[in-house]
Amino acid sequence: MASTSGSEPTHPVVFTTQTPYPLPSQKFMIPASWKRYQLSQLVNKALSLPKPIPFEFLVRGEILRGTLAEWCTEHGVGEEETLEIEYFESVVPPQRMSSLPHEDWVSSISCQLPGYFLTASYDGALRIFDYSQKLVQSIPAHQAAATSACIVPSSTPESVLIASASHDLTARLTRVDLSSSNAEQQAPHAETVASLHLHTAPLSSVAASQTHILTSSWDGLIGLFDVNIPETDEVPLDAADGAVENRKKRRKIATEDGEAAQPRPKRKAPAAVLKSHTARVSRVVFGRGADSKNAYSCGMDSTVRTWDVENGVCTSTITAANKPFLDLALTVSGNSALAASTDRTVSQYDLRAATTSTTTPSVASLMHPATPSCVAAAAPPSDSSSAVNAAAAEHQLVTGAYDGVVRLWDLRSTKSAVASFKAFEGREGGKKILSVDWARGMVGVGGEGGVEVWKVGEGERGLSS
Amino acid sequence: MAAAETKKLSKKRKAAQEEEETPAPPPSAFPQEVGLEMGSEDEGEEGEDVSDDGEVDEFPEIDARSDTEDEAEDGDEEDDESEEDVDEEEEEDLDEDDDSDASEESLHVWPKPKTVVSDITGQPKRVYPEIEPEYDSDSSTEDTPNRVGNIPMHWYDDLPHVGYDINGKKVLRPARGDELDKFLKTVEDPESWTSAFDKNLQMDKPLTAEELDIIRRLQEGENPDANYDPYEPTVEWFTGKGKEEVMPLSAAPEPKRRWVPSKWEKQKVMKIVRAIRQGRILPNKPKTANNQPQFYAIWNDEAPTGPAPPPAPKPRLPGHAESYNPPEEYLPTPEERAKWEATDPEDREREHLPQKYSALRLVPAYDNFIKERFNRQLDLYLAPRVQRVKLQIDPESLIPKLPSPSSLRPFPVYRSLQVPHADVRVRAISVSPDGQWVVSGDESGVVRLWEVIVGKEVKRWTFKSKVGAIEWCPRTDVSFFAVAVEDHIHFVIPPNIPGPVLTATQNVLAPATLPPPPANPSPVKWSSVPASQSSSDSPILTLSLPSSPEPPKQLVWHRKGDYLASVSEGQGGVWIHQVSRRHSQAPFKKVKGTVQLVLFHPTKPHFFVATQRYVRMYNLAEQTLLKTLTPGIRWISSMDVHPSGDHLIVGGYDRKLCWFDLELSDKPYKILRYHSRALRSVHFHPTYPLFASSSDDGSIQIFHARVYNDLMTNPLIVPLKILRGHTVREGLGVFSVRWVPRQPWLVSAGADGQVSVWCS
Repeated sequence: MASTSGSEPTHPVVFTTQTPYPLPSQKFMIPASWKRYQLSQLVNKALSLPKPIPFEFLVRGEILRGTLAEWCTEHGVGEEETLEIEYFESVVPPQRMSSLPHEDWVSSISCQLPGYFLTASYDGALRIFDYSQKLVQSIPAHQAAATSACIVPSSTPESVLIASASHDLTARLTRVDLSSSNAEQQAPHAETVASLHLHTAPLSSVAASQTHILTSSWDGLIGLFDVNIPETDEVPLDAADGAVENRKKRRKIATEDGEAAQPRPKRKAPAAVLKSHTARVSRVVFGRGADSKNAYSCGMDSTVRTWDVENGVCTSTITAANKPFLDLALTVSGNSALAASTDRTVSQYDLRAATTSTTTPSVASLMHPATPSCVAAAAPPSDSSSAVNAAAAEHQLVTGAYDGVVRLWDLRSTKSAVASFKAFEGREGGKKILSVDWARGMVGVGGEGGVEVWKVGEGERGLSS
Repeated sequence: MAAAETKKLSKKRKAAQEEEETPAPPPSAFPQEVGLEMGSEDEGEEGEDVSDDGEVDEFPEIDARSDTEDEAEDGDEEDDESEEDVDEEEEEDLDEDDDSDASEESLHVWPKPKTVVSDITGQPKRVYPEIEPEYDSDSSTEDTPNRVGNIPMHWYDDLPHVGYDINGKKVLRPARGDELDKFLKTVEDPESWTSAFDKNLQMDKPLTAEELDIIRRLQEGENPDANYDPYEPTVEWFTGKGKEEVMPLSAAPEPKRRWVPSKWEKQKVMKIVRAIRQGRILPNKPKTANNQPQFYAIWNDEAPTGPAPPPAPKPRLPGHAESYNPPEEYLPTPEERAKWEATDPEDREREHLPQKYSALRLVPAYDNFIKERFNRQLDLYLAPRVQRVKLQIDPESLIPKLPSPSSLRPFPVYRSLQVPHADVRVRAISVSPDGQWVVSGDESGVVRLWEVIVGKEVKRWTFKSKVGAIEWCPRTDVSFFAVAVEDHIHFVIPPNIPGPVLTATQNVLAPATLPPPPANPSPVKWSSVPASQSSSDSPILTLSLPSSPEPPKQLVWHRKGDYLASVSEGQGGVWIHQVSRRHSQAPFKKVKGTVQLVLFHPTKPHFFVATQRYVRMYNLAEQTLLKTLTPGIRWISSMDVHPSGDHLIVGGYDRKLCWFDLELSDKPYKILRYHSRALRSVHFHPTYPLFASSSDDGSIQIFHARVYNDLMTNPLIVPLKILRGHTVREGLGVFSVRWVPRQPWLVSAGADGQVSVWCS
């Protein structure tokens, strides 16, 4: 286009895209000294977009960082070769929005409740923050470290049902009335309504759908519970357990300066036990879609299993070689799973692939310099108008690692992260990130240093809306 | 020609005179001669001459053409005469006078005197024929007037004369005709073709008869000497008929052996006969061996394959230094010369010192010549002519073929997380049997319990003094660990264990009904908190050992989790505690040396005791010593037994790690020395084929150790990875390494107060 200066070397380039901003598929002679900015300007001008959209450019699966000439010399591509460059909307650099200090490590953060952040901490408490960084409620749901918390989607703002898992071998359902929290200086009413008893080892995660709750534990079991609160104990109180609980409760009551003793949560038995993992189950999630019948779990036995929740059977297994998985997330479409493992990779597995071979090769593998402890895919766009973002979100994910760096990846470019930022900067000691959650353009990062919330654009549109 | 003419004339005249004057020779003397001449009548003129003259011998000048025949006749005559002489010796003696004359006549060629009666005196007198000056004289000396000698005659080319005669007169150049004259001469003069140019006289001279004869002989390829007779008859002096010797030369009687058969020959023959009879000698050898043809195709054989035999070693070529007049820079300095002379001849760098001579003739004989030649011959003779195959050993091939570490995954490669211990040395760590929890105890007495994966401390206990050892009970139905502090061993139950497990644990450690005390009470006191009052905050059971300055440095559980062995400093520091009976006993009354470590065999009732230098293996059931292993380490620091129980690794403070195959030998199967500082800890992975060693150099080394069920196959040990990350503080590195069961992860505790988890 504007490359008729003559003296400057040019490179033949064909542009492709999956965004709704396609260029005509013709060959462009691009000056070799151009960088991302010029290319982005070129696309914008060529399409004469009303509002400039920054684009990122992928040259053979690699994001263009320097000039085109540099890329060519680095990869030994001759001047005559036609390069196919894919472009997509670029991500604005993440910005730190807020920091929510915690006394103890935060094991889990959830951004799924609009307007609120839910955190689970190693001191056994669940905390709810609103967007103004104010601690709305702190629920001492567990006597031991809470490892995971999620919000049951069927909950209404009047009665938010929170499921949490803990080291104390139980998961609990806590009902919180957030509607009354609008009134200032009044802590919303929170009540632990049920404790889910199945596991004989600390629980690692909990997931909830409209009707069911899944708990995963170190003992290799996955418990399936329904969300109904039982009237009576479904599990008898065993003597030793009861003794301990009683004693702990007594102490707790004593410490909580005379607050009225809460009614003991009802003990709830599982509806089904999903039993197939041979080692610790580190994460269980429900499938995408409100009425998904499938659940997915990953474990230390290097497998990702697909469960038919209704029947309680494992329908398919993805076996990796020596990849103890730590966390699992599903992409927006729900077709592939992103699993973080201790061999410092986050692997993408196609869940639809038939499991014929003993080890399933990963579709993509994202290398990390430290253990990636948590992974979160972009949330499905909340409003249906942004079908644009769905395509982009399909490829995007964030990972948090033990080196304190949150990385934003695009699955089309697996060599390096699209963007990365350091959480808990300026904190002394460890900076391990234990949990990330991504919803509505916000990435909640929970870890050793508490919670941080970062603004990560899901494209321009996501932020603007 | 004129001379020849005159000669002939004179000859004829003389012959005529002789015919007239000499009396006829006795007829008996020449009977055959006449016959001969009769036979050779057809020979022409010469024969006529001879017959005419009658005296052939008279002529000194032999006619060239009849020369040989005359001579032959002479020979014949003489032969005949000799024969006649032999026959008629006496006759000849009688008429000697006449014969002597006749023989003189025939033998002597010079002129004979004639006896004539003098006219004056009337007396007979001898009259000699007049000497003709030209006759019989050398014409070359007489006739040649030119006396210049044998000089190039072209010197006289420009002069009118051709030389000087004997009187000094000039010999004038004879007139020479032109070519036409020459031609005319050849036409007119019939003798001109037998003349040749005499350069001395500068004129043509006719050739003499002898000269012509020589020319003819040469042309015919005969001997040029006319007197040579190639066909002389043989003279049989002693052979031939009538000359045989018939009489014996000696009168000795004929020896007996001539006619008596030899006894010895007979014996020899009989020997051979006997040998033939006995079959020792085959008289007619079977020809089968010789049936094959004696000829063969020499080109049928294939040429010897392989390289041709190497040539003889070449002597070194001389250089400038060997020159008799070398350049100055080749000449040795006095120091060099002295050094050269001081060294032994075998050690000398060069065999010869250059020396300078101004001229080649001043060079003396080389004193080492014989020696050098001899050595050269030795070289040629003794130098092996076989091609020496140079050993082409690739250094890579000497390295044992080990599989690539990447093919032996998984093994820990990076540090996943670290748990700080507030800058206090962490000496003891233990991983729970389910691989989920780690307890680590430091020197300030703090024991932490934390998750392996997250590293979050869940609970902390603080003891009074430094923690010497910590060990998780391997039982899975109960869950507790033992901590060695001061003189005590505390048994602690971790929090958050399920109720049945907790109850079981409490029943094990603090049973409601205590077992009956043993018959012989031990100095170890067992004290437990009742189960109802126990909590995870404080130890439920405490053992009080006999006092010692240091806390027990090692705790080790038996596989079944009932027996716990503790090792303290000093004599008698080994105790085996039985939890179910709440009883402690010292297995050894007296141990040679200080016990460093003890270990239970995983499957058999065997017990390993490592003293400073030796590892002894006891059978506890039979209370016998099974084996004494000698690792060759000066000070043993660590020891672990393979889960199969057949292999033992021992680490030492002198940086060595020994692998023992217990089935094999008391000596180490392999000694690994990879660490640069003292080893502190070794540990086998319970399930993966891995072991790790930690050292004071701050590094942890991971080895692949595959043990085969096949007894014949040696264990395969492959170094996999060096994990660095712990800092060395005060010369102390990594105190302890422990594998996480079920996962290829490693937990390490260092002197820098960090406990690290290494993940694959």
